[in-house]
Amino acid sequence: MSARSRAVPAPRVPETPVRIKYPHHFLVRLTHWANVPLLAGLILSGLAIYWAAPVFVHAQNPATGSNDYLADLGVWIVNHVPAAKSYPRPTTWFYDHFSIGPGQLALALRLHWFFAYLFMANGALYLVGLLAGGGYRALLPRRADVRGAVAMMRYYLGWLPMKLFRCPWPHPEVGTKYNALQRAAYFSMPVFGALSVLSGWAMHKPVQLHWLERLFVNYDGARIVHFAAMVVLGTFVVPHVILVAVDGWDTFRSMVTGWSKRTTAKETGHGSAPEAPPPAA
Amino acid sequence: MAPPRKPRRRLRDLLAETDPPTTLVSERKLRSASRRDFLIFGAAATAAAAGFWWLLPDGAAEEKLPEGAIHALDTAAARLGLTKDRREKFLNRTLSFDDDVAEALFSRGRKVRTYTKGQVTPLRNNYNGATPGPAYLADWKLELSGLASGRTETLGIEDLRKFPFREQITRLVCVEGWSAVAWWGGLRFADLLDAHPPAPGARWAGIESSVNLDIDGNEDPYYVSIDLETARHPQALLATHMAGRPLGVDHGAPLRLLVPMKLGLKNIKAITAITYSAAQPDDYWAERGYSKYDGL
Repeated sequence: MSARSRAVPAPRVPETPVRIKYPHHFLVRLTHWANVPLLAGLILSGLAIYWAAPVFVHAQNPATGSNDYLADLGVWIVNHVPAAKSYPRPTTWFYDHFSIGPGQLALALRLHWFFAYLFMANGALYLVGLLAGGGYRALLPRRADVRGAVAMMRYYLGWLPMKLFRCPWPHPEVGTKYNALQRAAYFSMPVFGALSVLSGWAMHKPVQLHWLERLFVNYDGARIVHFAAMVVLGTFVVPHVILVAVDGWDTFRSMVTGWSKRTTAKETGHGSAPEAPPPAA
Repeated sequence: MAPPRKPRRRLRDLLAETDPPTTLVSERKLRSASRRDFLIFGAAATAAAAGFWWLLPDGAAEEKLPEGAIHALDTAAARLGLTKDRREKFLNRTLSFDDDVAEALFSRGRKVRTYTKGQVTPLRNNYNGATPGPAYLADWKLELSGLASGRTETLGIEDLRKFPFREQITRLVCVEGWSAVAWWGGLRFADLLDAHPPAPGARWAGIESSVNLDIDGNEDPYYVSIDLETARHPQALLATHMAGRPLGVDHGAPLRLLVPMKLGLKNIKAITAITYSAAQPDDYWAERGYSKYDGL
């Protein structure tokens, strides 16, 4: 009571109301960020498992003693990248840097199961969040997406040259939460996540889940799909982080706090960019 | 009666993207909520980093992090009580959880996929140590104990030839990730169990190879546990033949276990003794950090 009645200094931040929306459900935000350590753990342990018996192999190279393309990649890097020069073990450079290391199979397997069970639980929570928050609506592909994706690719390709020539280069009009390219990318991530889980189970239990193994043709088919899914999930991070950085603070903050100040189509979808030229008469 | 178009429209409504509702919130409230959320976010990220440091093997980060960061993380992990001992216990629990999943999935009625002779692939000799020389073959005997008879019985290779000869072409899957299809022949484990029944209450078979060698050629007995449920599976063989010929020493002459519903490391070569027991016997590789049940 006394604390309340005491005179408080005027708040530095004004009480003016701000219009906001909540674009991401709590569970979607939680699982989005949980994917970062989970995928890192899965890839670090997964590549250490891969080291024990690579699936992409060639006849043994007498010079390096390697039959594994990933080991070759490490040798190439040691030979061509100045920072990696004079690395003592060129054939394990790749595994030393992108996995928990060669010769760690027992530990890598245990870590992989640990992260894998969490990854599956996380994926299930993500789907619950998508349904509960209605976020799935913005992810579903639609008929106009092909044209929209072409427009976005044209925009990205022309962005830098137009910047250099100081020509106006308006962002294509987007009336939805995501543009067509984003939608394709965000929709495909859970698909590739599911594919990595299914191919993982096909390898892990090829007898009890024999139908799953058959779905990937055979045992090595599941291994190749599992590897490809890892590459797709891993490479997605690069443009994802760049584009969030370009798009700005509000986008990043909304994935942490859940709210966004971009409430109009003009702000979210670049509906009509201010620098857009007047329509040709 | 509802009009026929109605359900379809409802589905479309369920899938259509809608404008998210907006609300008015004071700037001050937003800032404090934001501060709280970023603090939680930062705490979670720190916890995840500490957990990572604890779980990853020592030395794994040497190539990836500067020395100062390594030292700081080591200190932080030690303060939080994240010791190596606890890591081992924790990861072993993960492994037994996964084994429980495998055991729950197992069904004796489920057949392992079989292949044709044209699909047979080369099978490498994956003896972990040196391959034993053929000298042991001359006085090879199979010793059975833990039997209902209470005796220890000794069988020679001729005794095993009296059992019906079964053949199967199945895939052997190694824990390392490679696999190979091979054509096997031998007796069903189930037939041996019928002829020499284990003592009542026995649930496990402990299978040993006393001729196994380590990498330097010293004696290094190999042993695995097999649950009797798996041993009675019609595709669990005690193999004496591969590719239509008697087994060579590199593939476990004269008798090896073939359980294609288990990882290759359970498919013990050059068996010299089988002991039935109520408690689960030890496994060579489980003592070295691998799983114990290994069901595929």
